[in-house]
Amino acid sequence: MKPVSEKRQRNLFIGTFIIPTFVFFCIFTIYPVVQALYYSLFDWSGMSEHKTFIGLGNFKDMFKDPIVLRAIGNDYFLVVGKIVGIMIIATFFAVALTRFKFKLAGFFRSIFFIPNVISVVVIGVLWNFIYNPQIGFLNAFLSLFTEEKVDIAWLGFTSHTIWMLLPPAVWAGIGFYMILIIAAIQNIPDSFYEAAELEGAGQWRQFRSITVPLVWEQMKVSIINIMMTTLNGSFVIVWIMTEGGPDNSTQVMGSYLYQMAFRQYHFGFAAAIGVLILGLSLITTVVMQRLLRHETVELS
Amino acid sequence: MHSGIKNPVVKIIFYAILVIWGFSVLYPLLWTLLDALKDNEQFFFNAPWALPEVPLIWSNFSYVWSKYNFDRYFINSIVVTGGSTLLGLLLSAMTAYVLARYKFRGSGALYLLYISSMMVPFILALIPLFFLMNSLGLINTTIGLVFVYASSVLAFGIFVLVGFFKSLPKELEEASIIDGASHYGTFFRVMLPLSQPGLITVGIVNVLNIWNEYIVGTILINDPKHYTLPVEIGVMQAEMQYRTEWGPLFAALLMTIVPVLVIYIVFQRKIASGITAGAVK
Repeated sequence: MKPVSEKRQRNLFIGTFIIPTFVFFCIFTIYPVVQALYYSLFDWSGMSEHKTFIGLGNFKDMFKDPIVLRAIGNDYFLVVGKIVGIMIIATFFAVALTRFKFKLAGFFRSIFFIPNVISVVVIGVLWNFIYNPQIGFLNAFLSLFTEEKVDIAWLGFTSHTIWMLLPPAVWAGIGFYMILIIAAIQNIPDSFYEAAELEGAGQWRQFRSITVPLVWEQMKVSIINIMMTTLNGSFVIVWIMTEGGPDNSTQVMGSYLYQMAFRQYHFGFAAAIGVLILGLSLITTVVMQRLLRHETVELS
Repeated sequence: MHSGIKNPVVKIIFYAILVIWGFSVLYPLLWTLLDALKDNEQFFFNAPWALPEVPLIWSNFSYVWSKYNFDRYFINSIVVTGGSTLLGLLLSAMTAYVLARYKFRGSGALYLLYISSMMVPFILALIPLFFLMNSLGLINTTIGLVFVYASSVLAFGIFVLVGFFKSLPKELEEASIIDGASHYGTFFRVMLPLSQPGLITVGIVNVLNIWNEYIVGTILINDPKHYTLPVEIGVMQAEMQYRTEWGPLFAALLMTIVPVLVIYIVFQRKIASGITAGAVK
């Protein structure tokens, strides 16, 4: 075999293995993303061929739209609530199931992950049932302590209903991050803890001086991951549970995008919301990376 | 050597927290099963935690299965999940192998492109995707959904599998090439079988994600004939405002949960390693 033809064979092989995937990826992922940036500059109802170029008009309208502002607020409320809730509980479980030497630790670990394999739709429906005013768990439980039957519409408050969406979001997220932190803790050499124990350091001391600094990198990744998945995907549970209502009070950017596009046919405006989500999640990632790096320095 | 927690009171409190959380995770599954066996009357007059009355309403399942066409949705979900997982796996394994083993111009940039696409919110692409699929005639088709799902899992698959291929010893390929096998033969007969653990890990994580996917399915499919299970659950839940059929709703939820639960129980370790690999971007 001549070296030239071998080189050719190699290139042919590379081509046949790279190109189909790439073409596929371009059509179904890259192209739609680029198109979205393009659509965001138009006033377009989607139904007609007619698009009007309005430059940054959609973005200007966006910041005059009180619902967009509320949606951004709700998004960041969920981001903060989920980071605090998930990280505290997941870290506690991760430490408890590795360092505390509980019996059944493996069993707990297995079942704590279960919510993460269940569809968000199912989770939304289950929590809707918990909150159901007539036949739900929460009211039935509260009724045990009251004379009259409690019939609070948990998802019907005109303000603060977004608080009700936090428990399902945290509940559904714990297991995943627990597994990540467990993996990080298991990478810490046992000798570190043994040495600390010989020195008489208690669990709390070990947690603060060994576990946290050494899993901080993983915690940072987890925090940023929670932020991104929340900005990018929290709208599904919102859509299932409240459709952004009542009176748009639980709208997040994603659900408002969905409503604007597929309910009200403002496709250009909706695309602009998508660009906003992208922009905010990138900016927030950069900001958080700065903030969290700072904290590492303090800890070490 | 390890003493764990020494203070018995603290230990009991911690244990109680674990048990309570475990209960909060398992109980919804149990109540889904129990409520799937109730009729409407029991929902309205008994406490939500009450056990279903005898006779149990097993007919809720057959009702959902035939009246709500869950037989069809179940098959749709299996076809869509299976098809897109296999297609996504093949496409990502091919690219991952080349990126891991062959140096060529632009290989680094290509890898970076796939990885950075994981940062882009999927919802951004949703609107153009709808119009693209419409113009390609792929709205309301199973194959359209398969394409979109397969494409959506490429980045994750490439990321994990590049790492996996890199961890395999090079000697085996070299031996295979010396034996006169082509690049293709080496990939399909030597490397692919060797990479089975990695493929299974990626495949299982993808199966779970695709089986559970709701929003893309809702947008690309509006003909009930092609609904997947989560799409139908969303529709049922919305209809629940007008007709109250709680028992069947819970039966439907259970049918959607059980397959992923079984997969989870069987492949637990794979799933844990898959998500750990995928999250360290």
